[in-house]
Amino acid sequence: MADKKSLSLGQAEAEARGNLPQSNRYNHVVRLAQAIFGMPIAALNLIGNEAQYTISAVGFPLGSIPVEESVCRITVQHEGVMEVSDLREDDRFAGISAVVKTPKIRYYAGVPVKGQSGQYIGALCVIDLAPRKLGKQQLEMLSDLGALLERELATQEEMDLAGRVQQHMVPSEPPAINGVEIAGRVQPAREAGGDYLDWFVVEPVVNNVTQPPRLEIVLGDVMGKGLAASLIASEVRAVLRGHSQYTDVGDAVARTSTTARRDLEANARFTTLWVAQLDPATGHMDYVDAGHGLAMIVSERGSRRLFQNYLPLGMPIDDDWIMASDVMEEDELLLVCSDGVFDVLDDDFNKVEKHLKYVLDPALSCQEIVDMIVAFAVQNGASDDVTAMAVRRTGETAKS
Amino acid sequence: MTYTENDNGTYVVFVPEGKFNLVTAPLMKDRIDELLKDGKANVVVDLHAVDFIDSSGLGALIGGLKGARQQGGDLRIADAADQVRAVLKLTNLDRILTPFATVEEATNGW
Repeated sequence: MADKKSLSLGQAEAEARGNLPQSNRYNHVVRLAQAIFGMPIAALNLIGNEAQYTISAVGFPLGSIPVEESVCRITVQHEGVMEVSDLREDDRFAGISAVVKTPKIRYYAGVPVKGQSGQYIGALCVIDLAPRKLGKQQLEMLSDLGALLERELATQEEMDLAGRVQQHMVPSEPPAINGVEIAGRVQPAREAGGDYLDWFVVEPVVNNVTQPPRLEIVLGDVMGKGLAASLIASEVRAVLRGHSQYTDVGDAVARTSTTARRDLEANARFTTLWVAQLDPATGHMDYVDAGHGLAMIVSERGSRRLFQNYLPLGMPIDDDWIMASDVMEEDELLLVCSDGVFDVLDDDFNKVEKHLKYVLDPALSCQEIVDMIVAFAVQNGASDDVTAMAVRRTGETAKS
Repeated sequence: MTYTENDNGTYVVFVPEGKFNLVTAPLMKDRIDELLKDGKANVVVDLHAVDFIDSSGLGALIGGLKGARQQGGDLRIADAADQVRAVLKLTNLDRILTPFATVEEATNGW
């Protein structure tokens, strides 16, 4: 039996997980359990301090019930499968509402499953509406399914953590520079992904002279999806951040290509990048487009794309990535997005134009604009990572 | 997605169908790698039946191109539909992966 301290560790983990949005990756094991044993109910329940969270089930509603109404609360206190042939005949369970009222469950077999803490956090159970008894082999099979779920839980935990690390790399604070409003959002197709955005203030030293502060704005898209793409995205982000402190934006991208080339090639990945440095006081903007193509400045007067003919990073041949310039007026909005957004518009700029009117309302904040764009892409069945960034000058005097 | 493969001795034509993405592209890429090991380095990918390509699909084509050129051959694409052309143009990858109108044009000179 688990001691009190370690049990509470497991409970804490169960609480934390029970309250998270649930992945459907446990469903196939739960369905398998239901089918193998031919019982009406199979469920994965997490046991918290006060509640039991049903995070995957067949024949039983998802959600939480008070922990004293749970059978699995006892299962998690012991090693191995717990079988109760008739719940009505067992004082511990005869009074709980699932036994007394519908669905009037009678038979229970459950196997405890461990979380990352190494403690039992819940149980996989199968339930029947009539008393019965499983054979030794069947109980072993239930135990095997429990072990399978443990691995799924561990994998999911790792994925969730990786996703959180990546979300934390997206700036959440307004940049420390006056005169500009910026917002961005990344919605990966999985827990983590190859899209990334970044912004930060640079005061690059060019020819030994420190330049006035500018806001660097970055959107990148590493080929592929998921954790593997996110690892490469982290590297490109860090390398570009480093180089950006010392040189102009075009040179920073070229140096990033050189620095990251080995890892991009070793993994047969490429990344698009769109990088700009904006002086909020004047609206002057230097930018480089490395095969990204999805940045535009829009206003009531129309729109213009800020694109160049350069290749993404990680291609078999090198490119120059020499920066171009533009001036953003105070009534203009800079929009940068990933191809996850472009795909739902059939990769067609005519369709993009038609949708721009929805984001041109000056009453909308940049955050509201990016939320609208991401929601639009998700609602229209985006299958890729979806990222959008909006930038506007606010007319306040920039810090000198 | 499925693809068909036709080896005429001088070059191999691949004809993938449907979505060419993270799930499907690596299958064809693996097969191209196999051919490269056997010294078959002239490859055409006939894209007329591909209605959607994503970055992983592009990655597979670029990877194939790289492998083929390292062996003194080439990977060329032909008859790409609008979405594929749009994505190639957007990423500027049409600079290194020229879309030919037909397989005949793509294989000119082989």
